Amino acid sequence: MTVPLPTLTTLAPEPGDVVRCPPRRRAVQTLCTLAVAVLLGLGAVVGDDHWYPVGPFRMFSTATPPDGYVSAMSLEVRVGNAGWARTALSPRNVGVNRAEVEGRVPEITTDPTLLRDLAEAHARMHPADAPWTGVRVIRNRTMITDSQPTGTVETEVVSTWTAP
Amino acid sequence: MSRFVDWLHAPVSPLRVLVLRRLIYLFVIVDVLWWHTSGEYHGWVDGRWYQPLVIGELLPLPTPDVTIVQSVKWSSVAAALLALSGRAPRMLGWTVAALWFEYQVIAFSYGKVDHDRWAMLVALVLLPTVGAVNRRDPRLSERAGWAIRCVQLAVIATYFYAGWAKLRFGGTEWVNSATLTRAVVRRGTDLAQPLLDAQWILHVSQWGIMGLELSSPLIFLLNARWRRWAIAGLLGFHVVTYSMITIIFLPHVVCLAAFLPLERLVRGQKDHVRDPSPDVSVPSPRTARTLLGRQRARSRPAREPAAVVGHQPVDPGGQPRDGRHEHQPAERSPEPTAGH
Repeated sequence: MTVPLPTLTTLAPEPGDVVRCPPRRRAVQTLCTLAVAVLLGLGAVVGDDHWYPVGPFRMFSTATPPDGYVSAMSLEVRVGNAGWARTALSPRNVGVNRAEVEGRVPEITTDPTLLRDLAEAHARMHPADAPWTGVRVIRNRTMITDSQPTGTVETEVVSTWTAP
Repeated sequence: MSRFVDWLHAPVSPLRVLVLRRLIYLFVIVDVLWWHTSGEYHGWVDGRWYQPLVIGELLPLPTPDVTIVQSVKWSSVAAALLALSGRAPRMLGWTVAALWFEYQVIAFSYGKVDHDRWAMLVALVLLPTVGAVNRRDPRLSERAGWAIRCVQLAVIATYFYAGWAKLRFGGTEWVNSATLTRAVVRRGTDLAQPLLDAQWILHVSQWGIMGLELSSPLIFLLNARWRRWAIAGLLGFHVVTYSMITIIFLPHVVCLAAFLPLERLVRGQKDHVRDPSPDVSVPSPRTARTLLGRQRARSRPAREPAAVVGHQPVDPGGQPRDGRHEHQPAERSPEPTAGH
């Protein structure tokens, strides 16, 4: 004897009811999650920044010795024959930011014409400004003892480009 | 494994996805136009400064110039605006994801990579998988649950792996180093300068940060109430960090909202959408009684085909037949119900 089934579809869903995923979809989604987790884990354990988006989350991850210095680069430029003047080392000003310049110090030291690119980028972005005839990168070392600044800041010119 | 799969798919209201999608599309517009604009300026600098990421070489992506950067920028904004309309959520959502991701690749291909964007990328890719959301449908959804859970996991992974990176690159001595001093010297606000004379606060903060980051996965063990307090604490942490060294992890902060019952923000849903945490996975007994009919439920023979709520076989009392709060789809569903 056939037992009549209750009619279900005419009733409105209510809070607390659950719409399920088909098993195959659950399996695929779980595998995708695990695969991405493995990639992210690999990036964290052996990867580096150029693995983005699965590289390590390494902002401020290095340890600065409590006795030593904190280094930060700055930029100075000259217009015509005027003296050197500090300018912002920022994307809005020269197309790249401070950390990007700091990461290229060895190349900038070897090839100062990389600084000419910054002058040209500035000229393109700020055509109303007088062109820069010189660009130099300064390393500022804030000396610290027992993690506290001593008040001494040492500066050093890392690389200079001058327009011919 | 089965419990893990269930946990990964713990149902939530699709309305949470609806609200979170709008939040992230609004954020994309703010991010591209005002917040994270270094990529835009990279187009102006000579291509010699371009250092392609692995993904930039694999695809391969072109060296950015002003035309490419501006195209990606304004396409991202246009796609996000269209996605905000709620139309074609998958197509437009994945378009936003692809364009925003390319914009990040442009920004990060010059030697500096930010680490606050993983959860946003996961959200942009996965929230569209939920598809269209019916605002009048009060049911919970495993599909929405998986997308939300993945965003939550991405948020917590960001904390945990940030702690891991400190151990990997800084070693165990990171907590006793002068790293926060360095942060304040390099980018400290006026508010942070006095901390240089109270070094012990920075020292203790480093221990606190490491502890917070490595213990962050424990948030999944908290009940809904304490989880919200934890989220409030994390928000406070980011606000303080921003006030001190102008680092706030804004896209990450937006994704913290995945832990909150955003569905309550939807008009008209406040009264009948309940917070599914702790994970809810059974139909309400009232619903089951309504569906089956009280009289029929009492008299139904023991071996008759199961009635189904969603894909869930229920007994006359509205509980799963196996007595657990875990479900398998009915193999003999009398008719299609509650599918997408």
